This record gives sequence, structure tokens and C-alpha cells, in this order.
Amino acid sequence: MLEEIFAATQIGFPVLSVLVFLPLIGAMLVWMLKSDEFLIRITGIAITGIELLLTVWLLVTFKSHTAAMQFVEQADWIPAIGISYHIGIDGISVLFVGVTALLSLLTMLFSWDLAIEKVKGYVMALLALQATIMGILVSLDLVLFFVFWELMLIPSYFLIKLWGTGKLKEHAALQYVLYTLTGSMLMLVGIIILDLNYQEVALAQGIQPTHSFDFLALLTVPMSEGKQLLVFLLLFFGFASKAPIFPLHTWLANTLASGPIAISVALAGIKLGTYGFLRFSIPLLPDASRALLIPLSILALVGIIYGAFVALAQSDLRRLLAFSSISHLGFVLLGLFTLNFHGLQGGLLQMINLAFTTTGLFFIAGFLYSRGLQDDLTRYGGLVTPMPALAGFFLVIGLASVGFPGTNGFVGEFLILLGAFKVHWAFGAIGVLGVILGLAYIMWYYERAMLAPPQETVIKNDLKGERPVSTLRDLNPREWVIALSLTIMIFWIGLYPAPFFEMMDASVQAVVDRVSPSTRFVALP
Amino acid sequence: MNFTLSLSSADLLLLLPEIFLTLWICMLLAVDAIPSHVDKKVIGNLSIVGLCATLVTLIWFYINGKTGTLFNGMYVLDPMAIYFKIFIVTSTILVVSMSIESVERFPAFRGEYYFLVLMSALGAMLMASANDLVSIFVTLEFTTFGFYILVAYLREDSKSNEAGLKFFILGAFTAGILAFGISLIYGATGKLILTDIAQAVGEPSAALIAGFLLLFAALGFKIGAVPLHTWIPDVYHGAPTPVTAFLSVAPKGAALAILLRIFFVTLAGFAAEWVWLLVLVAIISMTYGNIVAIAQSNMKRLLAYSGIAQIGNVVIGLAAANKMGGESIMFYLWAYLFANLGAFAVVIAVAHIINSEEIEDYNGLNRRSPFLAFAMLLFLLSLAGVPPLAGFIAKLYIFVAAMKAGLIALVIVGLINVVISMYYYLIVVKKMYINEPTDPSPLTVSPTMTVGISVAIAGTLILGIYPKPFIDWTVHATQMFNHLNIITTTNPFTLPFGG
Repeated sequence: MLEEIFAATQIGFPVLSVLVFLPLIGAMLVWMLKSDEFLIRITGIAITGIELLLTVWLLVTFKSHTAAMQFVEQADWIPAIGISYHIGIDGISVLFVGVTALLSLLTMLFSWDLAIEKVKGYVMALLALQATIMGILVSLDLVLFFVFWELMLIPSYFLIKLWGTGKLKEHAALQYVLYTLTGSMLMLVGIIILDLNYQEVALAQGIQPTHSFDFLALLTVPMSEGKQLLVFLLLFFGFASKAPIFPLHTWLANTLASGPIAISVALAGIKLGTYGFLRFSIPLLPDASRALLIPLSILALVGIIYGAFVALAQSDLRRLLAFSSISHLGFVLLGLFTLNFHGLQGGLLQMINLAFTTTGLFFIAGFLYSRGLQDDLTRYGGLVTPMPALAGFFLVIGLASVGFPGTNGFVGEFLILLGAFKVHWAFGAIGVLGVILGLAYIMWYYERAMLAPPQETVIKNDLKGERPVSTLRDLNPREWVIALSLTIMIFWIGLYPAPFFEMMDASVQAVVDRVSPSTRFVALP
Repeated sequence: MNFTLSLSSADLLLLLPEIFLTLWICMLLAVDAIPSHVDKKVIGNLSIVGLCATLVTLIWFYINGKTGTLFNGMYVLDPMAIYFKIFIVTSTILVVSMSIESVERFPAFRGEYYFLVLMSALGAMLMASANDLVSIFVTLEFTTFGFYILVAYLREDSKSNEAGLKFFILGAFTAGILAFGISLIYGATGKLILTDIAQAVGEPSAALIAGFLLLFAALGFKIGAVPLHTWIPDVYHGAPTPVTAFLSVAPKGAALAILLRIFFVTLAGFAAEWVWLLVLVAIISMTYGNIVAIAQSNMKRLLAYSGIAQIGNVVIGLAAANKMGGESIMFYLWAYLFANLGAFAVVIAVAHIINSEEIEDYNGLNRRSPFLAFAMLLFLLSLAGVPPLAGFIAKLYIFVAAMKAGLIALVIVGLINVVISMYYYLIVVKKMYINEPTDPSPLTVSPTMTVGISVAIAGTLILGIYPKPFIDWTVHATQMFNHLNIITTTNPFTLPFGG
């Protein structure tokens, strides 16, 4: 049984609840404001800024070297069926919270001077999105988790539908919602089976209460392998369609290419699907995880290679990033389902890394589109001449995303491959092939868009009319802040990852202990 | 059998809510008959006052644990009956409050509209207490009688007339089926009271099975479960919208009270035999209702088909055949009440000004009235089962109960239906929030309507965010089903949870 450190003793106030509900209150505040664009945007930035400051405080107060749940809050919600308001973070979720706070602020900054219709709704939707993501990350009760997981669909739907930029946005919004909803409905069945299994044990041993959806309580009850496999499969649909894992990935490219940059950052940057595997599937269903190690690793490798090959063929930057995401998620999945320390550690770190690199590239894509460049950048060429700083950041972040030594991507992929080689040499070898393909698609695209001799010299845009490429301006100070802060994180993790490992190691070790075949289930108290 | 009637004053007290409401209704009729020009709104407001007083009495009954049986067991007042009565009275209050503005515009409107609504409510309240086959028949017909007139209330409107005729013919036919079923059951067992029948049923005979199937068919007609749903779309479409709203909630709740008594008390021992029937009805109702709803272009028809699907969900709770199934149905009804009545209230408010119920005319509703659009958004999402609204907790409750009974296949079908329903609800949402209105003039909502819709919004949110008191109440009111937890059902849909 994991220890719990309550928020009251650790920091003195319910910090996680504040993190979840502050953006919601902020959204209501924005709703009540007059339609003064400046005021609305500055409120959005202020709220996300306060969130980031709180998160920094949280990260500083967070105790390393322990697997305990920290900043825990617990209250009854629906005791009749064992649902409680139970939230807390450990080494697995703490960095996700940090990343979400940072990315929310950067997204607000990014949107500062975008010409957006209905700014009020946009800022409200972004804040609501942040609140639901925070909720997903801190929930320790599976129904609470599910509530936030479903709620996230509503702001996402409106963001894609109302502020999407691509041609397919009508289709993409509905596709995303229905796809994820189908997955999460099956996940709900899995969650209910977990509860019924708990009830079976509780009735047999005379424990009160007889119902529980509490993650920590569910960890204490044994479960037959057959049932574990069934639940694993049901949860898999939920997590894999959200992540998305090959072959449930078909919504991703449409959504990321059609939605606003903000939704791309949230969906591709914060790897909630694979987080779900690490948070719930693996610890709750250790026998099933072990039994499915080989098929899942193969699925991961297919995803890596498939995503990379399809990315090679893309000419639209956002579609390329979508497929590279599928490839990256393959790496994360490969790492997680090695079920050894290095693999899990690498998988977790890589999820954090991708939050900086993938979103960095999406922001770059956003910078380019805000300058009127259309989806297919390869037909211009030579974009480095008017925009050297942007091209520089593109190169650095791009290389980091495919694991260039010295950047954060290298640390993550190295650990994942180390873990994979321990399982089977072939897994590692195919993984390395994926790294090489990754370098190929990102460099080839960069070469065609940025370095190659200019082809089209005039940008034709429906909204802004015609203008020559040579007049494009380079990054403005606000864009510098966004790109630079991500680059700093990339090199920090790349060169000195020790503080990050210290935070996550004990929790990762707890998961490893949990899945190792020698450990049996913890006896009930 | 001894049919001597001995009514003491203590017995009469048990009938106090009904007696009070009857007297109040008579008074309303008298006020309406005064030839001077009494504003009809006064009668509407008086109806609400009377209903609120009834509600207070019922709550007082519940808190003080007033229970008992009357008329040799024909009429029972147990916590479950009071629970359903409170449900019915609450829905009637909401319906009357949303009627007051819109009924004024009915051609040939008279005060008797409120009289009919309250009479039907009274019938439904009696239905919740019906405990033998004869009282089931009498109260059910009593309830339906008012509706025959209400559905055809728009005398000039051919659709309303058609709906009224359809409803009347099918209703009369159903009454025949019900009477036939009752006679078969009585013939086979010689008993009328539901609890006595449970003991008299030894080995079920063919006549008895046929009897119960006919009984189920008649009640299935009232709740509108497939394949007895055919009247719903036309009647919902043709009837005046407040009547449709009323019809979609109160009689369904009362019929479910009877179904709960029949399946969970009388037939509790035969759960393994009837569960397949309910599983089938649930699956077909949900899937049919949701798929046909996609193609609708009229808001009332859309809500009619979504209502059929919602009843499918409720039947899942019946099929679960355990105490939690009963609890979940009763909780579900509250979630359904607020979301469904709320949605109809928005339809009434919109139709009051633009005189149309077509979904196309909801284009850009957010521009014209952000309040109505937001309310509709909440109600539709609650009907779909999106957290943290009432519909989510209710669906979760039902699914947990069904999983507990091992009906995993049924739950998966139910969840797939959630996804299908999300599709057509989102289409309406898209029209309200994203499409441009053809006529951007703002819509004004009357104060009573605003209050009614706000109550529905509050109910939808409170049941979703803090359902604990309601669930505690439901758990308490269903203690008569405690015996069900001991029975273990075996059915073909049980998942092998071995090892």
C-alpha cells in the first residue's frame, strides 16, 4: 500500500484542487468580462501565469526519493457506490502537472496577437481545457478520472470546430469526439469490472465499504489473470484511442492538421493516453501487463516504423508532426512495456520530453502560419534567409524531437532502447531503425522547406493577399520567449537530467516492484 | 376473500395528499367557472400552490415514516410509493410553470387545461401506490383519461387531432390487453394483490406466463419501450408541447413504479426466466431510438426518439434484477425529469416566439438567447450522459447495477448507444452555437419560464455534482427490495468470471 502525504501537512492548503478549479473560476471570470479583447487576453495570461507559479511552488515542495502519493486530498462524493474525491500526485504525475501549467501559459502567449473571432469563448475554452487536463492528472479515483477524461472532450470539440484552421475542421471535431468517446465507453466497462472485483473480495473478507473506485484501494485486492486481461483490453481501447496508438490513430492527423495550434499543443503535447497506461493499466493489472508484453512491444514497433514512414511522405508540416507523434508514441509504449526500470523511466521521461519538442514544433508551425504561409512549406524553400532565428529554433527543436545527442530526446530514447535491448535484441534493433528514420523525415523536410533554393517567391493567401517571401519578418519578442523557454527545457533535460530522475525514480521503482513476478499482492490491512 | 371496507381516520390520513389535491382541483374548477373575467394565469398559479402544498405533505410523510396499506392491500403507501409521488408532483409543478405562458395562445383555451393536467397527476400518484391488479387497471386508466383530452387539445390543428385519435385508439386497445392479462393471472392464481400472487405462483403455467406478458405489454406501451413505441413520435409531435413534456415524464414514472413492483416483488423468484425479455427490450429500445433520432428534423420528434432510447436505459436497470437496479432506475428518473422537462421547456420558449419546432430554426440560438442555448446544451449533454451532469451519474449507476448482475454485453451495447446519441445531440449543439441565425433578433424569455428552466438547470447540475443526498434517499426508499440481493440470477448473458 502506497503511503499518502496529505496536502494539509505538506503545503497547508489544497493546492491540487486550486490547480484544477482556478482555471474554471478564471473561465467564469472571463465570461463576466465585457468584450474588451485586451482585458480578456490579459486575464487568460494572468490565470495561467498564477497556475505556473503555483506549480513551481508545488515542484519545489515535492519530496523526491519517495513513492508516496503527495498533496493528497480526500472527501466522500458518492459513497453508495464507492466514489470519492481523491486526488494526489506522485513521481509519475508531478512532471505532467508542471508541463501542463507551462504549456497552458505558452499557448495563451502564443494566441496573444492571433486574429481570433470570439476571443472570449476561445480563452474560456482554453482555460476549461487546462482545468480538465489537470483533473485527469491528479485524480486517484477512477470515476473522478473518467469524469475529467470525458469533460475534456467538450472544450476540445469547440476549439476544433470554432477556431480550427484546416479544411477538414467540420469533420475532424466530430471524428475526434466520437473516436475518443467510443474508447472511453469501453474503458468505463473496465473500470466497473475493477470495482466489482473489489466488491467480491471485500464481501468475502468482510471489509467495509464494499464498493470502491479508489486507485489505492484497488491496488490492494488480488485479481485473477483472466479478469485482468479483460480489463486491460477494455482500458487499452480508452487509452490507446486517446494517445493514439497505432492502429487507433486515424483521427490524429485530421485533428492536428485542422484544429487550432492550441488544441494540437494540448493533444500532441500532453501524452494522456500513455500516461493512463503507466498510471493505471500497469500497476492495477500487473499479470496482464506481463502476459501482453510481446504483443504490445510489437504493436509499439509497428507504430514507430509506420509513423516514421508516413511522416516521410508528408508535405504539410502539421500532418508530418501528427505522424511523427504516432512514431514517438510507439517509442513511449515500447519503453513502458519493457516493464523494466530503464524502459519505464525512459518512457516516462520521453513523455515529458515530447511535451517540449512536439509542442515546440507545433508552435513553430503556428508562427509560420501566422505569417500567412500555407500548409505545404516545401514549395517555398529558402525560408532561412528571411527568418534565421525561426529556422534555428526549428532545427534545434526538430533534432531534439528525434533524439539528437545533447538534447532531452537523446536521454529518453537511449533509456527506452536500453530497456528494449534487455527484453530482446530485435526490439532494440528495430527501435534504432526508428531513430534513424526519425532523423531522416525531420531533416529532409527541414532541408526542403528552409535550406533548398527558393521556388515560389510569392505567398498567396486568401486573407492577406499576395506578398513576397523575402519580406517575412523574423521572430518577435513574444515568440522568442516561447521558443527559448522550450529550448532551455530541452537542453536542461538533455545535459543535466538528474533533478528530473530524482523526482520520478522512486515511483518508477514502485511500478517495477509491482509488476515483477516475484512480488505477490500486498495483504489487506 | 374479504372485501369489507373499514376506514378509520388514521387510514384516511394516509390518503391526505390525494384527498387534498382532489379538493384543490375541485376548487380550481369552481374558480374557473366564475363568469367574471378571472385571468387564467391565476388558475395556473393556484395549481402550482396546490401542488407545492401536496409536495410538502408528501415530504412530511416521508420524513415521519408514514406508511401503511389501505382497502385490503389494494393501495399501499410505502417509502417507494412516496418517492414516486414526490417525483410525479415535482414534474407536474415544472410542467405547469412552463405551461402558464404558452397555453394562453392555444385557440379555445380554457381553465380546464389545468384541471386535466392535475387530474392526470392525481391518477399517476395513485398509480404509484397501486398494489393489486384491479387498482393498477383503474389508476392507469384514470391517468390516461386526462391525456386523451390533453393530447387533442389544439382543436383547430389536424396534427393534434390525429395524435389524440391515435393515442385514444391505441390506449383503449392497451386497456383491453391489460384487462385480458389481469383476468388470466387472476384465473391462474385466484389472487389479485401483487404480494399474494408471488406466494400463489407455484410452477408457472402457460396462462400465467401469457397473463404477465400481456401485463408487461400494456405497461410497456405506457413507458414507450420498443416494440410498443409506435404511438410516441406522432403523439409527441402532435400534442401541445407542455402536454408532450408532461406525457414524457409523469406517466412513465408511475408505470415504472408498477413495473418495479411486478418484476421485483411478484416475479422476483423468476428473474432467470424474464431477464432475457428485458435485455432484448432494452437493447432494441436503445438502438432503435438512437438510430432513428439521427434522421429527425423536428426537435419534438428528436426528443421523442431520444426518450425511447432513454427508456431502453431504464429497462437495463430492471433487467439487472437486483436492489441496485431498482435504486438506479429511480435515480435515473430524476436525471431524466430535469433534463427532459428542461429540454421541452426550451422548445416551448423558442416556439413561443418563432412559432417553430424545426431543428433548422435553432441555428445560431446562442446569438439570439445565450441563456436558452446554454440550458439546451446542458440538458442535451445530460441526456447523453456527459459528466459531471445528472445523466452521467444516472447512467453510471445503471451500468454498475447491470454489471453486478453480470450483464456485460448489455452494458457494452448501452455504452455504444451513448456514442450514437452523442452524435445527434452534438448536431443540435453545432446548430445552436456555430451556425449563423437567419434572423438574429434576440429572443425574450418570460420570468416564469426562466424560473422553470433555472430549476431544471439546478437539478441537472446538483444531481451530477453532489448526488449523495439523493442517492441516500433512493437507497432508503428501496429497502423493500433488500430480498433481491440474496437471489443470484443465472442467465445466458453472464460473463464467466471464473478463477
